[in-house]
Amino acid sequence: MLEVRNLTKIFANSYDQLAGGIRNASFSLPSGTFFTLLGPSGCGKTTTLRCIAGLERPDSGYVGVEDRVLFDSERNISVPMNLRQIGMVFQSYAIWPHMTVFENVAFPLRVSKQRKYSSEEIGKLVNEALETVELGGYGERPATKLSGGQQQRVALARAIVGHPKLLLLDEPLSNLDAALREEMRIELKRLQRQIGITTVYVTHDQAEALAMSDRIAVIDRGHIVQLAEPKQIYFRPANEFVARFIGSTNLFTGRAEDSVAANSLGTVRLTDGSAVRCVFPAGATAGEEVTISIRPESIVLAPDGVPVSGDHDVLKGTVQAASFLGSSIRYEVEVNGETVKAMSPPDTSFDPGERVQLTFPPTSVVAVERSSDRAAA
Amino acid sequence: MISSDRSGVLEGGSTGERRPLFSRLFVDDSRRTFAVIVGVILALLVLPPILILIQQSLVHTTTGGEIIEVTLDHYRRLLDDPRLLQSTWNTFVFALGSTIISLLMGGVLAWLVERTNAPFKRLAYATTIISMGTPYVLYVIAWLFLLGRAGPVNDLYRSLSGSFGVLIDVNSMWGMILIEGFLWSPLVFLLLASTFRAANADMEEAARMSGASVFDTVWRISIRLAWPAILALSLFVFIRAIEAFDVPALVGTPGRVNVLTTEIYYSTKLVPPDLGHASSFSVILLVIVAVLFYFYSRISKNAERYHSVTGKGYRPRLFDLGSGRWAAGAFVLLNFLVVLVLPLAALLWRSLLPYLQGFRLSALQNLTFDNYATVLGASYYLEYAWNTILVGAGAATAIMVLTAIAGWIAARRGPGAVILDQLATIPLIFPGIVLGVAVMQIYLRVPLPIYGTLWILFVAYTIRYMPYGMRYVYSGVLQIHRELEESAEVAGASSVTALRRIVAPLLSPALVSGWLFIFLLATKELSIAILLSSPDSQVMAVAMFDLWVNGQSGELAAFGLVWTVVMTLVATAFFAWARSKGQDVFGS
Repeated sequence: MLEVRNLTKIFANSYDQLAGGIRNASFSLPSGTFFTLLGPSGCGKTTTLRCIAGLERPDSGYVGVEDRVLFDSERNISVPMNLRQIGMVFQSYAIWPHMTVFENVAFPLRVSKQRKYSSEEIGKLVNEALETVELGGYGERPATKLSGGQQQRVALARAIVGHPKLLLLDEPLSNLDAALREEMRIELKRLQRQIGITTVYVTHDQAEALAMSDRIAVIDRGHIVQLAEPKQIYFRPANEFVARFIGSTNLFTGRAEDSVAANSLGTVRLTDGSAVRCVFPAGATAGEEVTISIRPESIVLAPDGVPVSGDHDVLKGTVQAASFLGSSIRYEVEVNGETVKAMSPPDTSFDPGERVQLTFPPTSVVAVERSSDRAAA
Repeated sequence: MISSDRSGVLEGGSTGERRPLFSRLFVDDSRRTFAVIVGVILALLVLPPILILIQQSLVHTTTGGEIIEVTLDHYRRLLDDPRLLQSTWNTFVFALGSTIISLLMGGVLAWLVERTNAPFKRLAYATTIISMGTPYVLYVIAWLFLLGRAGPVNDLYRSLSGSFGVLIDVNSMWGMILIEGFLWSPLVFLLLASTFRAANADMEEAARMSGASVFDTVWRISIRLAWPAILALSLFVFIRAIEAFDVPALVGTPGRVNVLTTEIYYSTKLVPPDLGHASSFSVILLVIVAVLFYFYSRISKNAERYHSVTGKGYRPRLFDLGSGRWAAGAFVLLNFLVVLVLPLAALLWRSLLPYLQGFRLSALQNLTFDNYATVLGASYYLEYAWNTILVGAGAATAIMVLTAIAGWIAARRGPGAVILDQLATIPLIFPGIVLGVAVMQIYLRVPLPIYGTLWILFVAYTIRYMPYGMRYVYSGVLQIHRELEESAEVAGASSVTALRRIVAPLLSPALVSGWLFIFLLATKELSIAILLSSPDSQVMAVAMFDLWVNGQSGELAAFGLVWTVVMTLVATAFFAWARSKGQDVFGS
């Protein structure tokens, strides 16, 4: 397991005086968890990863793997990175071009300070690792004669060859082309399951995070704003930033009509006067200003005037544009001066200018905490 | 092309419609015209020196220069002469030894400064900048002060041991190797610093994360990755040491240690000059250097293949040396003292005394500014300085103009790209002294009245430093995305206009850096100038050489220091400019 408490590392940026880094990050992961640090570039996710690895020295906080303390600012403990026994895959893979595949993978065993490996052991472990990443028989290739995907696998084999307790992955898929990325996503997940290793994964790609992770921490400007399972993150975003950053959404502002208990339905009066029911994960008091999020795929479009079932809420608007995407059609509908996105099945057909009803179940609408001034990605 | 063709064919009557077609043709022609003009100029500059050397090495002439007969005598004499073997061996030992010293000093320094948290890093760059501005000949003389018979090192030895001998005989192979090594270490530092700076830090971090200690990481990863670059640089320094003239002439000759370059020089100084002998020596040296450069280009190509720039730009990640940090700092400091402070202090000491004295407090009562007064008061020193600047600036300007066009055509694979590239690079194989011998013989013969004027120096410098200009321009053009030019042409600009309005402004950082670099080198040049300058066209380095030979070392030190201050300002401007424009200081 991995335990991180109050991890803080702040960089004063010399260019624009804005401080980057990570503040007070805490999380605790059971063994075998696939954990993702997700956020836009510059949010502090890589800094967090590098602090765990020992590549950066945190300003303060605690990092521990299993029962071993790796960093503790209070007790002034900082284990050097080469003694932490952590596997890591770099964004650029960092495959050493002057070595063969075998030598690249064998390197952690050869330089190990914890124990000496005999050459038979090294051969066995390296071949095992190469088999695991499906590169069996590639050992004698020069590292420069590998494709991007193969380099990625070598980097992975090198990271796991010494059976570390923790695996760190720094945007490992971002240098691959789209098709290969999709394939490696599944592959990586399968591997992680197979080895059962606790994994920390850094990415800015929300689709990747949702597809692979057991748990996700969404980071915004140095703060973890939500830490939850993928579905939770998607359907119950903690705030406006998360709602905007994960997938695509429509946000409306309004006021709560009555006081609402946490995790129950309540009614919101939007600024244009229409009323919409939604889930309040945190509850609300009467008259409180709230922002609600409706996912485009929750919205069903219907011709104006068609009766709507009572358990759906309705907004009315005019179709502005339609884009055919193959598996769906993306409509932009003007609702009282605001543009609302809606995903509909490909067999629907509404023309620009047509009046439509937007219907959606109240359970798919969620009140989110307002983010003050943040420019969402 | 298609649209202009069509308008020409379909509405072919009016000249107004035909114009695009004509201008298109003209554009292609103008690029070709440029290529031809620059190619011819380059060929006229570069090829005659080689041809004249070969020709002169194969003939007997009268003292008037008329050919008596074609002969292999010069080579036969050379091969029979045991001195050829001796001086070739000396050359080899000298070049190898000084390469090792400069590589160890400059290489370790570069690594400490660029890749670790060692203190005093600025001192390393200060050393480099000031030594860029110090003429080699002056630097060598400073070391002769330090290590000479009466110098502080031997002085100290005598007072400690009570003997009357010397600890170090500087006029020996060891003295030559040491001084040449010191001389080159700043440039080695500069070039390896950029290699280490560009290194992908992920490679080292991956090793650290794999469990490797700092030492393991440096030994198994950092050095191996930089190895091709180190090898290429070693060969480069080795070649330059073979071509060296300053150190062999000033340090080796008094101790009768001769190398190929000094053999050539002294056979031109015989009465009458033995130019056939000098030429055959030169041809041999030319062949050696050409062969070495062939290997050099192969190795450096290999080095580029290894060079991997990947990943995102992250903060510079340095090795934490822990308590070793202060040992590293001591090394940086020691290098600063040995390579820079000691020689300059020796010069300063000498310049403030009326005659050569050891470093003693008792000498302080003789301190005088007389030497400075003489130097600043005498008009001929000003003239030497002016000549040097004039010919350096002239050559730098001519080279940058020529190579701006040649380099652009070569980098863009225009007409004659390969030939232009080759022509501009050939002078690399000329050691200065060989080029001096060649140019001297050409202009003794052709009826151009430039012999003994600054013009002949200008021509020789232009030939000698052409490859550096080419290197700056070529890599500068490669950094300009081709589409920037193409979009200008699509927007309707002719390729000449695109060159003038788009390429030239974007290339200006490379052009200015190249100009300054060549200017700095040319103003230090001794080996060419010593054969080609006359009393009417005296340049600074030769003047210093003569002052030394005549024993006027006080004036020499004063003049040298004043000159070094001025040139250090130029060198500082060069570094500041290169840094602000994100240029690498050696055009790559």
